Amino acid sequence: MREFCLVGIALLLTACGGAAVPQEPLTAAKAAVAGAEVGGAASDPKAALHLKLAKEYVAKAESLIADGDNEEAARIIDRAQADADLALALAKETAAEKEAQDTKESLDRLRKQAQ
Amino acid sequence: MMNRLDRIAFVGLLAQALFGCATAQPPQELLDARSAYDAASKGPAAQLAPAQLDTAKQSLAKAEQSFADNGDKPMTKDAAYVAERRAELAAAEGAREKADRARAQMDKDFKNSEIDAVAATKDRAAKAQADLEKERQARSEAEKNLADANKKLGAAMASLAEIAKVKEESRGVVITLSGSVLFATGKSDLLPIAQQKLTDVAKALNDQGYQSLLVEGHTDAQGSADKNMVLSQQRADSVRMYLVSQGIPSDKIRSQGLGSSRPVADNNTAEGRANNRRVEIVVTPLGK
Repeated sequence: MREFCLVGIALLLTACGGAAVPQEPLTAAKAAVAGAEVGGAASDPKAALHLKLAKEYVAKAESLIADGDNEEAARIIDRAQADADLALALAKETAAEKEAQDTKESLDRLRKQAQ
Repeated sequence: MMNRLDRIAFVGLLAQALFGCATAQPPQELLDARSAYDAASKGPAAQLAPAQLDTAKQSLAKAEQSFADNGDKPMTKDAAYVAERRAELAAAEGAREKADRARAQMDKDFKNSEIDAVAATKDRAAKAQADLEKERQARSEAEKNLADANKKLGAAMASLAEIAKVKEESRGVVITLSGSVLFATGKSDLLPIAQQKLTDVAKALNDQGYQSLLVEGHTDAQGSADKNMVLSQQRADSVRMYLVSQGIPSDKIRSQGLGSSRPVADNNTAEGRANNRRVEIVVTPLGK
Protein backbone atom coordinates (compact mmCIF):
# COMPACT_ATOMS: atom_id res chain seq x y z
CA MET A 1 0.00 0.00 0.00
CA ARG A 2 2.73 2.39 0.99
CA GLU A 3 4.70 1.49 -2.11
CA PHE A 4 1.68 2.11 -4.24
CA CYS A 5 1.32 5.53 -2.62
CA LEU A 6 4.88 6.41 -3.34
CA VAL A 7 4.48 5.45 -6.95
CA GLY A 8 1.33 7.52 -7.08
CA ILE A 9 3.04 10.51 -5.52
CA ALA A 10 5.95 10.14 -7.87
CA LEU A 11 3.61 10.04 -10.86
CA LEU A 12 1.78 13.07 -9.51
CA LEU A 13 4.99 15.00 -9.10
CA THR A 14 6.18 14.11 -12.58
CA ALA A 15 2.84 15.19 -14.02
CA CYS A 16 2.77 18.53 -12.22
CA GLY A 17 6.36 19.65 -12.19
CA GLY A 18 6.17 17.79 -15.50
CA ALA A 19 7.97 19.72 -18.19
CA ALA A 20 11.73 19.94 -17.92
CA VAL A 21 13.53 23.24 -18.48
CA PRO A 22 13.36 23.83 -22.27
CA GLN A 23 17.05 24.55 -22.45
CA GLU A 24 17.66 23.40 -26.01
CA PRO A 25 14.80 25.39 -27.62
CA LEU A 26 15.86 28.44 -25.58
CA THR A 27 19.42 28.16 -26.86
CA ALA A 28 18.15 27.72 -30.42
CA ALA A 29 15.88 30.77 -30.14
CA LYS A 30 18.75 32.88 -28.78
CA ALA A 31 20.93 31.72 -31.65
CA ALA A 32 18.16 32.66 -34.11
CA VAL A 33 17.98 36.16 -32.54
CA ALA A 34 21.74 36.56 -32.92
CA GLY A 35 21.51 35.27 -36.51
CA ALA A 36 18.79 37.81 -37.35
CA GLU A 37 20.94 40.60 -35.94
CA VAL A 38 23.92 39.51 -38.00
CA GLY A 39 21.59 39.29 -41.02
CA GLY A 40 20.79 43.00 -40.70
CA ALA A 41 17.34 42.70 -39.16
CA ALA A 42 17.96 45.71 -36.93
CA SER A 43 18.32 48.08 -39.88
CA ASP A 44 15.12 47.03 -41.68
CA PRO A 45 11.97 48.48 -40.01
CA LYS A 46 9.71 45.42 -40.52
CA ALA A 47 12.44 42.98 -39.52
CA ALA A 48 13.43 45.14 -36.55
CA LEU A 49 9.92 44.87 -35.11
CA HIS A 50 10.07 41.07 -35.12
CA LEU A 51 13.61 41.09 -33.79
CA LYS A 52 12.40 43.20 -30.89
CA LEU A 53 9.47 40.83 -30.23
CA ALA A 54 11.80 37.82 -30.35
CA LYS A 55 14.08 39.39 -27.74
CA GLU A 56 11.14 40.25 -25.52
CA TYR A 57 9.85 36.66 -25.73
CA VAL A 58 13.30 35.28 -24.90
CA ALA A 59 13.39 37.50 -21.82
CA LYS A 60 9.87 36.47 -20.87
CA ALA A 61 10.71 32.79 -21.32
CA GLU A 62 13.76 33.13 -19.09
CA SER A 63 11.71 34.76 -16.39
CA LEU A 64 9.07 31.98 -16.69
CA ILE A 65 11.79 29.36 -16.38
CA ALA A 66 13.08 31.11 -13.27
CA ASP A 67 9.53 30.91 -11.86
CA GLY A 68 9.45 27.21 -12.75
CA ASP A 69 6.73 27.53 -15.38
CA ASN A 70 8.53 25.49 -17.99
CA GLU A 71 5.43 24.53 -19.95
CA GLU A 72 4.45 28.12 -20.76
CA ALA A 73 8.11 29.03 -21.22
CA ALA A 74 8.36 26.44 -23.98
CA ARG A 75 5.43 28.00 -25.84
CA ILE A 76 6.86 31.51 -25.45
CA ILE A 77 10.17 30.22 -26.77
CA ASP A 78 8.28 28.98 -29.85
CA ARG A 79 7.05 32.54 -30.36
CA ALA A 80 10.59 33.90 -29.95
CA GLN A 81 11.91 31.40 -32.48
CA ALA A 82 9.16 32.24 -34.98
CA ASP A 83 9.76 35.99 -34.67
CA ALA A 84 13.54 35.64 -34.92
CA ASP A 85 13.26 33.45 -38.03
CA LEU A 86 10.80 35.89 -39.60
CA ALA A 87 13.06 38.86 -38.79
CA LEU A 88 15.95 37.23 -40.64
CA ALA A 89 13.77 36.29 -43.61
CA LEU A 90 12.42 39.84 -43.88
CA ALA A 91 15.91 41.33 -43.67
CA LYS A 92 17.10 39.00 -46.44
CA GLU A 93 14.05 39.83 -48.56
CA THR A 94 14.69 43.57 -48.20
CA ALA A 95 18.35 43.11 -49.08
CA ALA A 96 17.50 41.02 -52.14
CA GLU A 97 14.95 43.55 -53.33
CA LYS A 98 17.38 46.41 -52.87
CA GLU A 99 20.03 44.54 -54.79
CA ALA A 100 17.55 43.80 -57.59
CA GLN A 101 16.59 47.47 -57.68
CA ASP A 102 20.24 48.58 -57.81
CA THR A 103 20.92 46.12 -60.60
CA LYS A 104 17.89 47.38 -62.50
CA GLU A 105 19.11 50.97 -62.18
CA SER A 106 22.60 50.21 -63.41
CA LEU A 107 21.14 48.17 -66.26
CA ASP A 108 18.89 51.10 -67.22
CA ARG A 109 21.87 53.45 -67.08
CA LEU A 110 23.92 51.14 -69.25
CA ARG A 111 21.12 50.80 -71.78
CA LYS A 112 20.75 54.56 -71.94
CA GLN A 113 24.48 54.89 -72.57
CA ALA A 114 24.41 52.27 -75.31
CA GLN A 115 21.77 54.16 -77.24
CA MET B 1 -8.92 13.00 -51.16
CA MET B 2 -8.72 15.50 -48.33
CA ASN B 3 -5.41 17.06 -47.52
CA ARG B 4 -4.22 17.31 -44.00
CA LEU B 5 -5.51 20.78 -43.40
CA ASP B 6 -8.97 19.94 -44.67
CA ARG B 7 -8.92 16.88 -42.54
CA ILE B 8 -8.02 18.88 -39.49
CA ALA B 9 -10.68 21.45 -40.26
CA PHE B 10 -13.12 18.62 -40.67
CA VAL B 11 -12.08 17.13 -37.36
CA GLY B 12 -12.42 20.56 -35.80
CA LEU B 13 -15.92 20.99 -37.13
CA LEU B 14 -16.80 17.49 -36.03
CA ALA B 15 -15.45 18.22 -32.55
CA GLN B 16 -17.43 21.42 -32.39
CA ALA B 17 -20.58 19.59 -33.50
CA LEU B 18 -20.03 16.80 -31.02
CA PHE B 19 -19.20 18.93 -28.05
CA GLY B 20 -21.62 21.68 -28.89
CA CYS B 21 -18.92 24.32 -28.97
CA ALA B 22 -20.24 25.91 -32.18
CA THR B 23 -20.39 29.27 -30.43
CA ALA B 24 -16.61 29.26 -29.64
CA GLN B 25 -15.03 31.97 -31.76
CA PRO B 26 -11.51 31.36 -33.07
CA PRO B 27 -9.01 33.75 -31.43
CA GLN B 28 -7.75 36.71 -33.46
CA GLU B 29 -4.34 35.03 -33.69
CA LEU B 30 -5.87 32.10 -35.53
CA LEU B 31 -7.80 34.35 -37.90
CA ASP B 32 -4.56 36.24 -38.62
CA ALA B 33 -2.69 32.97 -39.17
CA ARG B 34 -5.32 31.75 -41.63
CA SER B 35 -5.26 34.93 -43.70
CA ALA B 36 -1.43 35.08 -43.60
CA TYR B 37 -1.25 31.52 -44.89
CA ASP B 38 -3.87 32.30 -47.52
CA ALA B 39 -1.87 35.31 -48.72
CA ALA B 40 1.42 33.40 -48.76
CA SER B 41 -0.02 30.46 -50.69
CA LYS B 42 -1.28 32.82 -53.39
CA GLY B 43 2.08 34.61 -53.71
CA PRO B 44 5.42 33.62 -55.21
CA ALA B 45 6.12 31.32 -52.22
CA ALA B 46 3.91 28.63 -53.78
CA GLN B 47 6.43 28.27 -56.59
CA LEU B 48 9.63 29.61 -55.09
CA ALA B 49 9.51 28.63 -51.38
CA PRO B 50 7.43 25.42 -51.28
CA ALA B 51 9.31 23.98 -48.29
CA GLN B 52 8.68 27.06 -46.14
CA LEU B 53 5.08 27.19 -47.28
CA ASP B 54 4.66 23.56 -46.25
CA THR B 55 6.11 24.33 -42.82
CA ALA B 56 3.61 27.17 -42.52
CA LYS B 57 0.82 24.81 -43.51
CA GLN B 58 1.80 22.35 -40.81
CA SER B 59 2.03 25.14 -38.23
CA LEU B 60 -1.43 26.32 -39.14
CA ALA B 61 -2.73 22.74 -38.92
CA LYS B 62 -1.25 22.49 -35.44
CA ALA B 63 -2.99 25.69 -34.39
CA GLU B 64 -6.27 24.52 -35.88
CA GLN B 65 -5.86 21.24 -34.03
CA SER B 66 -5.18 23.07 -30.79
CA PHE B 67 -8.25 25.20 -31.33
CA ALA B 68 -10.31 22.09 -32.05
CA ASP B 69 -8.94 20.29 -29.00
CA ASN B 70 -8.59 23.09 -26.50
CA GLY B 71 -10.61 26.00 -27.86
CA ASP B 72 -9.54 29.57 -27.26
CA LYS B 73 -6.73 28.77 -24.82
CA PRO B 74 -3.26 30.41 -24.55
CA MET B 75 -1.68 27.36 -26.20
CA THR B 76 -3.97 27.84 -29.22
CA LYS B 77 -3.05 31.50 -29.41
CA ASP B 78 0.65 30.65 -29.15
CA ALA B 79 0.38 28.03 -31.88
CA ALA B 80 -1.57 30.45 -34.11
CA TYR B 81 0.99 33.17 -33.42
CA VAL B 82 3.77 30.86 -34.56
CA ALA B 83 1.70 29.76 -37.60
CA GLU B 84 1.19 33.37 -38.69
CA ARG B 85 4.97 34.02 -38.49
CA ARG B 86 5.70 30.85 -40.43
CA ALA B 87 3.30 31.97 -43.19
CA GLU B 88 4.88 35.43 -43.28
CA LEU B 89 8.31 33.84 -43.41
CA ALA B 90 7.26 31.70 -46.39
CA ALA B 91 5.95 34.83 -48.14
CA ALA B 92 9.21 36.67 -47.42
CA GLU B 93 11.31 33.75 -48.70
CA GLY B 94 9.17 33.62 -51.85
CA ALA B 95 9.60 37.35 -52.42
CA ARG B 96 13.33 37.09 -51.77
CA GLU B 97 13.71 34.24 -54.22
CA LYS B 98 11.73 36.18 -56.80
CA ALA B 99 13.96 39.25 -56.35
CA ASP B 100 17.07 37.05 -56.51
CA ARG B 101 15.96 35.48 -59.77
CA ALA B 102 15.06 38.85 -61.27
CA ARG B 103 18.47 40.15 -60.27
CA ALA B 104 20.23 37.12 -61.73
CA GLN B 105 18.42 37.66 -65.02
CA MET B 106 19.31 41.36 -64.98
CA ASP B 107 22.93 40.48 -64.21
CA LYS B 108 22.91 38.38 -67.35
CA ASP B 109 21.25 41.20 -69.31
CA PHE B 110 23.75 43.61 -67.81
CA LYS B 111 26.69 41.53 -69.03
CA ASN B 112 25.17 41.23 -72.49
CA SER B 113 24.34 44.93 -72.61
CA GLU B 114 27.82 45.70 -71.43
CA ILE B 115 29.23 43.65 -74.27
CA ASP B 116 26.89 45.46 -76.67
CA ALA B 117 27.80 48.82 -75.20
CA VAL B 118 31.51 48.10 -75.47
CA ALA B 119 31.02 47.03 -79.10
CA ALA B 120 28.95 50.14 -79.83
CA THR B 121 31.55 52.36 -78.20
CA LYS B 122 34.30 50.68 -80.17
CA ASP B 123 32.35 51.20 -83.40
CA ARG B 124 31.76 54.82 -82.55
CA ALA B 125 35.40 55.35 -81.68
CA ALA B 126 36.56 53.67 -84.88
CA LYS B 127 34.16 55.76 -86.95
CA ALA B 128 35.22 58.96 -85.19
CA GLN B 129 38.85 58.00 -85.83
CA ALA B 130 38.11 57.40 -89.52
CA ASP B 131 36.18 60.67 -89.79
CA LEU B 132 39.01 62.50 -88.12
CA GLU B 133 41.54 60.95 -90.47
CA LYS B 134 39.38 61.83 -93.48
CA GLU B 135 38.99 65.37 -92.23
CA ARG B 136 42.70 65.65 -91.60
CA GLN B 137 43.45 64.47 -95.12
CA ALA B 138 40.89 66.86 -96.61
CA ARG B 139 42.38 69.70 -94.62
CA SER B 140 45.92 68.91 -95.59
CA GLU B 141 44.82 68.65 -99.23
CA ALA B 142 43.01 71.97 -99.00
CA GLU B 143 46.10 73.51 -97.41
CA LYS B 144 48.25 72.11 -100.14
CA ASN B 145 45.87 73.43 -102.82
CA LEU B 146 45.84 76.82 -101.19
CA ALA B 147 49.61 76.86 -100.95
CA ASP B 148 49.82 75.85 -104.63
CA ALA B 149 47.33 78.55 -105.59
CA ASN B 150 49.20 81.15 -103.56
CA LYS B 151 52.48 80.10 -105.13
CA LYS B 152 50.95 80.30 -108.59
CA LEU B 153 49.38 83.62 -107.79
CA GLY B 154 52.66 84.94 -106.49
CA ALA B 155 54.47 83.81 -109.64
CA ALA B 156 51.78 85.24 -111.91
CA MET B 157 51.78 88.51 -110.05
CA ALA B 158 55.53 88.72 -110.28
CA SER B 159 55.51 88.13 -114.03
CA LEU B 160 52.67 90.62 -114.46
CA ALA B 161 54.49 93.21 -112.42
CA GLU B 162 57.35 93.04 -114.90
CA ILE B 163 55.14 94.13 -117.76
CA ALA B 164 52.43 96.19 -116.11
CA LYS B 165 51.52 98.02 -112.95
CA VAL B 166 49.58 95.76 -110.61
CA LYS B 167 47.74 96.93 -107.53
CA GLU B 168 45.07 95.58 -105.30
CA GLU B 169 41.93 97.60 -104.90
CA SER B 170 38.64 96.83 -103.25
CA ARG B 171 37.13 95.92 -106.66
CA GLY B 172 39.90 93.41 -107.30
CA VAL B 173 43.42 93.25 -108.69
CA VAL B 174 43.92 96.05 -111.18
CA ILE B 175 46.48 95.64 -113.97
CA THR B 176 47.26 98.97 -115.57
CA LEU B 177 48.78 99.08 -119.06
CA SER B 178 50.06 102.38 -120.36
CA GLY B 179 48.15 103.63 -123.45
CA SER B 180 51.29 104.73 -125.20
CA VAL B 181 52.64 101.20 -125.14
CA LEU B 182 49.42 99.70 -126.55
CA PHE B 183 48.18 102.10 -129.21
CA ALA B 184 49.27 104.76 -131.64
CA THR B 185 47.74 108.16 -130.99
CA GLY B 186 44.05 108.23 -131.83
CA LYS B 187 44.05 104.56 -132.93
CA SER B 188 42.55 101.49 -131.42
CA ASP B 189 44.69 98.87 -133.20
CA LEU B 190 47.17 97.15 -130.90
CA LEU B 191 50.84 97.80 -131.54
CA PRO B 192 52.98 94.67 -132.10
CA ILE B 193 54.81 95.21 -128.79
CA ALA B 194 51.39 95.54 -127.13
CA GLN B 195 50.35 92.14 -128.48
CA GLN B 196 53.42 90.57 -126.97
CA LYS B 197 52.69 92.18 -123.61
CA LEU B 198 49.08 91.11 -123.70
CA THR B 199 50.11 87.55 -124.56
CA ASP B 200 52.12 87.52 -121.32
CA VAL B 201 49.20 89.05 -119.42
CA ALA B 202 46.82 86.40 -120.79
CA LYS B 203 49.25 83.67 -119.84
CA ALA B 204 49.62 85.07 -116.30
CA LEU B 205 45.86 85.40 -115.91
CA ASN B 206 45.26 81.83 -117.09
CA ASP B 207 47.91 80.58 -114.66
CA GLN B 208 46.50 82.54 -111.79
CA GLY B 209 42.82 81.74 -112.22
CA TYR B 210 40.07 84.31 -111.73
CA GLN B 211 36.34 84.63 -111.59
CA SER B 212 35.85 87.38 -114.15
CA LEU B 213 37.75 90.14 -115.96
CA LEU B 214 36.78 93.67 -116.89
CA VAL B 215 38.77 95.65 -119.45
CA GLU B 216 38.43 99.40 -119.00
CA GLY B 217 39.59 101.95 -121.57
CA HIS B 218 40.64 105.39 -120.32
CA THR B 219 41.80 108.54 -122.15
CA ASP B 220 43.22 111.90 -121.17
CA ALA B 221 41.02 115.01 -121.23
CA GLN B 222 42.16 116.33 -124.62
CA GLY B 223 39.69 116.35 -127.47
CA SER B 224 35.92 115.96 -127.27
CA ALA B 225 34.43 113.81 -124.52
CA ASP B 226 32.28 111.89 -127.04
CA LYS B 227 35.24 111.03 -129.21
CA ASN B 228 37.25 110.01 -126.15
CA MET B 229 34.39 107.81 -124.98
CA VAL B 230 34.19 106.07 -128.38
CA LEU B 231 37.96 105.70 -128.59
CA SER B 232 38.24 104.30 -125.07
CA GLN B 233 35.48 101.76 -125.82
CA GLN B 234 37.20 100.70 -129.06
CA ARG B 235 40.53 100.32 -127.30
CA ALA B 236 38.98 98.30 -124.47
CA ASP B 237 37.27 96.11 -127.11
CA SER B 238 40.60 95.61 -128.90
CA VAL B 239 42.32 94.46 -125.72
CA ARG B 240 39.39 92.21 -124.82
CA MET B 241 39.36 90.58 -128.27
CA TYR B 242 43.08 90.00 -128.17
CA LEU B 243 42.90 88.42 -124.71
CA VAL B 244 40.04 86.18 -125.91
CA SER B 245 42.26 85.14 -128.81
CA GLN B 246 44.90 84.20 -126.21
CA GLY B 247 42.57 81.76 -124.45
CA ILE B 248 40.57 83.92 -122.03
CA PRO B 249 36.98 82.60 -122.20
CA SER B 250 34.80 85.28 -123.83
CA ASP B 251 32.02 84.87 -121.28
CA LYS B 252 34.40 85.76 -118.46
CA ILE B 253 35.68 89.02 -119.86
CA ARG B 254 33.82 92.25 -120.47
CA SER B 255 34.98 95.61 -121.85
CA GLN B 256 33.97 99.14 -121.05
CA GLY B 257 34.97 102.59 -122.36
CA LEU B 258 35.15 105.28 -119.72
CA GLY B 259 36.72 108.16 -121.74
CA SER B 260 38.39 110.74 -119.55
CA SER B 261 35.91 110.32 -116.69
CA ARG B 262 38.38 108.68 -114.34
CA PRO B 263 41.73 110.42 -114.47
CA VAL B 264 44.49 109.09 -112.21
CA ALA B 265 46.78 112.08 -112.78
CA ASP B 266 46.79 115.78 -113.65
CA ASN B 267 45.58 116.39 -117.23
CA ASN B 268 47.42 119.73 -117.37
CA THR B 269 50.85 118.13 -117.64
CA ALA B 270 52.17 115.92 -120.39
CA GLU B 271 53.25 113.31 -117.86
CA GLY B 272 49.85 113.35 -116.16
CA ARG B 273 48.05 112.99 -119.49
CA ALA B 274 50.30 110.05 -120.42
CA ASN B 275 49.37 108.34 -117.16
CA ASN B 276 45.68 108.96 -117.77
CA ARG B 277 45.85 107.27 -121.17
CA ARG B 278 45.66 103.68 -120.10
CA VAL B 279 43.85 100.37 -120.16
CA GLU B 280 43.00 98.74 -116.84
CA ILE B 281 42.22 95.05 -116.47
CA VAL B 282 40.22 94.48 -113.29
CA VAL B 283 40.56 90.91 -112.09
CA THR B 284 37.84 89.59 -109.79
CA PRO B 285 39.61 86.79 -107.94
CA LEU B 286 38.21 83.32 -107.44
CA GLY B 287 35.84 82.91 -104.55
CA LYS B 288 34.51 86.47 -104.62
